[in-house]
Amino acid sequence: MTSHRKWLPFVYLAPVLVILVLFVYYPIFSNVYYSFFDWGSFSNTMHFTGLSNFINLFKDSVFFTALKNNIYYAIISEIILVGGGLVLAAILEDKLVRRYATFLRTIYFLPVLISITVIALLFEFFYNPQTGLLNKLLESIGLDGLTRAWLGNGDTAIFAVIAMSQWQSLGYVAMLFIISIQKIPSELYEAARIDGAGKVKQFFHITVPQVKEMAFVATIMTLTQAFTVFNEPYILTGGGPGHSSEVLTTYLYHSAFNEDAMGYASAIATVILAITLIISVVQLKVFRSGEGD
Amino acid sequence: MRKVVGMIACIFVFAFILTGCSGFTSSSGSSGDGDKITLKFMHRWPKEPEKSYLDKVVKEFEKKNPNIKIQTEAVLNDSYKEKIRVLLGTNHPPDIFFSWSGEFAHNIVRGNKALDLTSYYNKDKTWSDKIIEPTMESYRFDGKMYGVPWMMDAKLFFYNKDIFNKLGLKPPKTFKQLIAVSKKLKDKGYTPIAFGNKEGWPAGHYIGTLNRRTVPADVIKKDHIRSQGTFDDPGYIKALEKLQKLNDVAFNKNSNALKYDFSRQAFTSGKAAMDYMETIEIGDLPDIGFELGTFNFPAVEDGKGDQKIISGAPEGFMISSKTKHPDAAMKFLEFLTNKENGKKLVKDVKYLSSVKNTVTKDNSTPIMRKAQQEILHANKLAPWIDTGLDIRIADAYMKDMQKMLNGEMAPKDVMKDVQKEAKRVRVSAK
Repeated sequence: MTSHRKWLPFVYLAPVLVILVLFVYYPIFSNVYYSFFDWGSFSNTMHFTGLSNFINLFKDSVFFTALKNNIYYAIISEIILVGGGLVLAAILEDKLVRRYATFLRTIYFLPVLISITVIALLFEFFYNPQTGLLNKLLESIGLDGLTRAWLGNGDTAIFAVIAMSQWQSLGYVAMLFIISIQKIPSELYEAARIDGAGKVKQFFHITVPQVKEMAFVATIMTLTQAFTVFNEPYILTGGGPGHSSEVLTTYLYHSAFNEDAMGYASAIATVILAITLIISVVQLKVFRSGEGD
Repeated sequence: MRKVVGMIACIFVFAFILTGCSGFTSSSGSSGDGDKITLKFMHRWPKEPEKSYLDKVVKEFEKKNPNIKIQTEAVLNDSYKEKIRVLLGTNHPPDIFFSWSGEFAHNIVRGNKALDLTSYYNKDKTWSDKIIEPTMESYRFDGKMYGVPWMMDAKLFFYNKDIFNKLGLKPPKTFKQLIAVSKKLKDKGYTPIAFGNKEGWPAGHYIGTLNRRTVPADVIKKDHIRSQGTFDDPGYIKALEKLQKLNDVAFNKNSNALKYDFSRQAFTSGKAAMDYMETIEIGDLPDIGFELGTFNFPAVEDGKGDQKIISGAPEGFMISSKTKHPDAAMKFLEFLTNKENGKKLVKDVKYLSSVKNTVTKDNSTPIMRKAQQEILHANKLAPWIDTGLDIRIADAYMKDMQKMLNGEMAPKDVMKDVQKEAKRVRVSAK
């Protein structure tokens, strides 16, 4: 009887496994396979070209621009979303503002609920060089020198896109931290107060160590998002002007659907896969060590 | 017992998955049942007024041919490009599908996805003789016809006659005059030419025309052949310099941050005096409070190219090489492009039909007739660079021109990138 039962769990697992293999693992492996070919959706044949897609990729300046932009995305998101989100959460959970906490939390969380397409269109108006709110605001406070075509300038376009992402996601990350802060026993803060620790000290010596686990989660999450981001730059700038605000995914899309270079696009996808794989391996390692604490 | 239930549940799930998969093959409905033929027709206008126009034509056709049923599917522009690429790669592509002319069509033809229609053109002369010749040119590859042009779109300068009259200006005939006119307009506080280039292709339209003016026609012709394009004629750099000049003197600032639609808004609101527009946009113009004029892109004085040619292209339809009913599909396209439907196209959609003598006093506005005259006068259409050239070359152009307009790149560096891409295309075309 028991020997029969041994394979029974696998029967239950099989349907999910089939779906997973069919729709997740098979595409991943076939993508890696396709990256060794030169092919397009119109062409009848696929030429095996070995590593040439990857060699071309590492000679391609646009690829490095895209990678650099993704790294900017990652660094800025870590600082603003994880760092800023934690500070914001701590302030919202502080006794002084607790009366308005629910209201403020809703305000900060609201952008998370709006469709990214709507937000991108809103920010397009916001950044408009002639009628946009941002330039008008700068003019009205006498900072005319700072006004520029935010999305039309190669130096500022990617940062304008990143800024929008930060605005949208801050509330979400802060919410994660708020949940985690609420779990901290209040005795810790009371004890610290009695010992004469101020708000800042309490933050660094109680709040930060206590939300460490959540900070890991938030770090990995924003990191992965920074390397797979697509909607924001695609809608807001389309990678332009030139290729200055291109990220890996928009360049992939561009190669696949504008240039019909499917093999090349597959190679970019493989690189993205490698990056996110490394991040998730690090995540697994860190969490395993976290369990031991 | 529990085990049995579990097993049955699993079998159900598997059966569900398997039938789900096989569903793809059984639902291909392009072949008809009995005598009734069903044709799949795919175009890029889920929007009005094109949609109702095409629906009406389909209905009329079905009434006249009761044994043919047409199944229409419409997907908007960019999504259409992607979808048709995917569908043509499958075993059940639509029988009749929309295609831009030039390189987009050529790409489909090279992949053997389009049916050779030459014999139909020769067989039914009464129909094919009524199609305007320059529109046919864009669907002709290696001397064979692969598509049916339906309408034509051309790029012309539109200008605000009220402003021009007030300042005593005349529509410029040469590039120097255009610059002089622009300077005067700017002095009076107008934006001479409205220009939004966030998408990249609007600058492509300018350079497409400028190249034709400054580069000899045979060189352009050679560069458009994928296996031979070098783009090293000095005329190309000159064309970019002219564009730079326009950017300095005539365009509004920050064009890269403004969308193409912006230019039409600035023009119709009376802030800008000129706009380089496509004739298909005539239908999109709101009720404007001024008189509209139009002129061809001015001649470049020392240019070595064709000084009359207009950037533009017909748009039309192709028939899949895998269709089971080529005669029925062609019958529909001939019906779509007969004189009566051509006239209705002008009236209902405000497009310039590819059929001769369809723009008349009783179905069009004066500006449409003027635009039509300009096209017939030029008698040649130059394909857009983003559909006429290999997309890699066009893309290098469009991306780099954005940088050039921002002052981050010089014309000769733009051409270096274009030449580099042209080389890649040459290699892959061999």
